[in-house]
Amino acid sequence: MPQKRKDLGVDVVLITGGGRGIGRHLAKEFAKQGAKKIILWGRTEKCLRETCEEISMTGTECHYFVCDVGNREEVYEQAKVVREKVGDVTILVNNAAVVHGKSLMNSDDDALLKTQHINTLGQFWTTKAFLPRMLELRHGHVVCINSILSLSSIPGAIDYCTSKASAYAFMESLTLGLLDCPGVDCTTILPFHTDTEMFQGMRVRFPQLFPPLNPEMVAHRTVDAVRTNTAFVVLPWTMHVLVILKSLLPQGALEEIHKFAGSYTCMNTFKGRT
Amino acid sequence: MHIAAEFCVVCVKVLWSFAAAAARWLVKPREKRVQGRVCVITGAGSGLGRLFALHFARRGATLALWDINRTANEETAELVREIYRQNTTDTSSTCAGSEDSGEKSAVFQPRVYTYVCDVSQRESVYATAQQVRREVGDVTFLVNNAGVVSGRHLLECPDELIERTMMVNCHAHFWTTKAFLPKMLELNEGHIVTVASSLGLFTTAGVEDYCASKFGAIGFHESLSHELKAADKDGIKMTLVCPFLVDTGMFKGCQIRKEMAPFFPPLNPEHCVEKAMRAILTDQPMVCTPRAMYAVSFMKTILPFDAIVCMYRFLGADKCMFSFLAHRKESTNNNESKISM
Repeated sequence: MPQKRKDLGVDVVLITGGGRGIGRHLAKEFAKQGAKKIILWGRTEKCLRETCEEISMTGTECHYFVCDVGNREEVYEQAKVVREKVGDVTILVNNAAVVHGKSLMNSDDDALLKTQHINTLGQFWTTKAFLPRMLELRHGHVVCINSILSLSSIPGAIDYCTSKASAYAFMESLTLGLLDCPGVDCTTILPFHTDTEMFQGMRVRFPQLFPPLNPEMVAHRTVDAVRTNTAFVVLPWTMHVLVILKSLLPQGALEEIHKFAGSYTCMNTFKGRT
Repeated sequence: MHIAAEFCVVCVKVLWSFAAAAARWLVKPREKRVQGRVCVITGAGSGLGRLFALHFARRGATLALWDINRTANEETAELVREIYRQNTTDTSSTCAGSEDSGEKSAVFQPRVYTYVCDVSQRESVYATAQQVRREVGDVTFLVNNAGVVSGRHLLECPDELIERTMMVNCHAHFWTTKAFLPKMLELNEGHIVTVASSLGLFTTAGVEDYCASKFGAIGFHESLSHELKAADKDGIKMTLVCPFLVDTGMFKGCQIRKEMAPFFPPLNPEHCVEKAMRAILTDQPMVCTPRAMYAVSFMKTILPFDAIVCMYRFLGADKCMFSFLAHRKESTNNNESKISM
């Protein structure tokens, strides 16, 4: 049955980490599906400018601001700038994330914290900055690009798993809290390993069974989930099996399956963004 | 071809672990001895931390108690010393008659040490850990128990309180574990206990920061336990403790639907810690109290979100924290409780 889809014609979309990776594809996809204005936040001006130019060429109004979401003061400051220069944000896409990708004892303390600040606390600050106005307008949407690792941890990315699990809980709690607020909705996307430079070098054992996701597909499904008001989307759907198994199997069995599936070794070849 | 063979082996191992789990259920495994082992407990000044300290003391463990509140921590230490004294008199009275009994208890006398430490501060954790290693010795048990709750709605909550919740409930686990794990890895012996909460398995509205911190703690715990498994460090055990709402006053005022409330009474802290101790001493990877929580977390994985929402609404669980938040606000206004920063 075809679902009813929201029209994005009046929406101002803000995407954190919009310069590259999934964020960049999201920006293009939102523009394609008719969003009124796109705002990009990120830390590297060069990528932001490139993405912004690309979108402006297609005819959608696009702005970019340099902002590190891990820095609370900067988030509030830039949020003010956005409100003054562009207008009220009605769709907030919390997409920015980093990964350190080491085991606990090999991790650098500051890097561990940085991941928590960008991946988790950053979402608190952006939500606190834009949600009040959405509630006033009775129109808005908070979107979070999370990861399947939030529900099923792997070794070798302890900083990322911790931060994403936190971010998942934040979104779930927020979704429940906003149930009674008409017009303001939430969407959380939980994709499997996506083919971007973020997790470069990560190698799964059965790439035929679990191929890395295409970022364009993730972006398309995200925008679609926003338009159909879907709260949680797991990509690909086979990952549901993993989550169910995890809640059902004894720890020993789960470990054997992880070992067999190669989750214990997949981060050994991890290079990350250089 | 060998991949098929490997797959068969994995299937057998999976079935075997089911059998082992069933066997554990039928034949209660023996509890391991903690006598003379060093046990670090964070947040030992009150609530579950204090009870954990008393239980470990009864079994003769040497304790290093950490808390930010010196007075409360000293109170716990005093209770622990009382238990040590009782233990000594008990053993000497039961062994009365044999001559070397007095000497034996004199050879080993567990002690309790107290440390004032703010676990959210990395430097403070590392310095205190250094002190523990110097004064007490190698740590076998690490109980990450310290936790706080801000008790405000997201949009009304000061940012510092959100940060504080995350730092104490989640980031502190990084620092304490990093401080004590190297020695455990070297000896291939140790036990790390994470005291999370049912709110680390499912969430409820209004306590975003608390849920986030507890989910994070569980994510950390799981990733670390896989890490140890991948590194073949079988000697280091991990136990995740997920109690439902415990009657320690932390969530005073929290209420689910009146008709359903009798089915989910707040847990007696003593009962909760007893269950947790049993799980820790038999190397059980995870323990939820009450058992119904296993069912709830399983339901959550198979049901679509809309169905979960219906279930939550029926139980009144989605808004259960609102009365706690209101209560907290009122008591803050009346200066009954200070929210520590």
